[in-house]
Amino acid sequence: MARVRAVLDEVDNSTTIWYILHVRLSLKKVESLCGRQNSSTAQVLREAGVSRNAFYSLGRKDSVVPRCLIRIAERLDVPVSALLDDTEPSTARIESSIKETNRISKKHRGVDPDNVRHTLLLLDDKPVERLRRALRRGRSVNLR
Amino acid sequence: MADPSIFGDQEAEFLKELVRQKVDFMIVGLSAAALQGAPVVTQDVDLWFRSLSDPGIERALKKVHGRYVPPTTQNPPMFAGDAVKLFDIVTTMDGLGEFDEERGHTIKLRLGRVKILVLKLERIIASKKAAGREKDKLVLKVLQDALKVIQEREQS
Repeated sequence: MARVRAVLDEVDNSTTIWYILHVRLSLKKVESLCGRQNSSTAQVLREAGVSRNAFYSLGRKDSVVPRCLIRIAERLDVPVSALLDDTEPSTARIESSIKETNRISKKHRGVDPDNVRHTLLLLDDKPVERLRRALRRGRSVNLR
Repeated sequence: MADPSIFGDQEAEFLKELVRQKVDFMIVGLSAAALQGAPVVTQDVDLWFRSLSDPGIERALKKVHGRYVPPTTQNPPMFAGDAVKLFDIVTTMDGLGEFDEERGHTIKLRLGRVKILVLKLERIIASKKAAGREKDKLVLKVLQDALKVIQEREQS
């Protein structure tokens, strides 16, 4: 979906709808990925806790986007993507972070831009998440 | 999101109990710097208590099945037990004033359900400079750069 959305940034809304509606599950791709890990599709489904029925039923659908979402999007006259929350950092957020890093690095000569960028990213997290990151990395270094 | 098991419910419960018992303490060191957004790594969470003889510490430890190990000639005071193994006890901070003085240089940050006093990054930097150990020198630049970013963010 992320790859599709990256492409979509370049195109208009009508194309967006087309792309989103035609996101299908590729059984071939799943089988190939399973094979690369020396597993059968059945084995992977079992380990993932997904029933064969659910999987193959999904594979027969024209789109993996739920019908209800498509209907809401059509009623609102917006692309389905407008109803979804991007869990990956958006391009806008990344651009804003780079811009802010450059601004601070220029203003404070001698600062390491990597330190600036990492601090900016951490400031977007809750304090407890920042602490967990520091501890996880600190303790993994210690284990090595 | 970082692994929540590394500073999870047990540790949060201990801090909550310390606050509930009205124990005067603050988080210091690199864990305090990390809480404020500095991109550093650390292995422990350093706690600085106003008085280690505060009975509230014992009560909070009891709640999480931990215990206090008094200092010996070879070892500093420490905590024992699963819920408190991440915490280190700090008795003094290089280059800084007494607890009561430094208490005025803290901020309150939310950790789980409670807000905890955390020593300001400026004071952590001052302490690292004063300590002057190799490992302190290595992290100083990161802390100083992080402070500039945090101050910029506060101004904007």
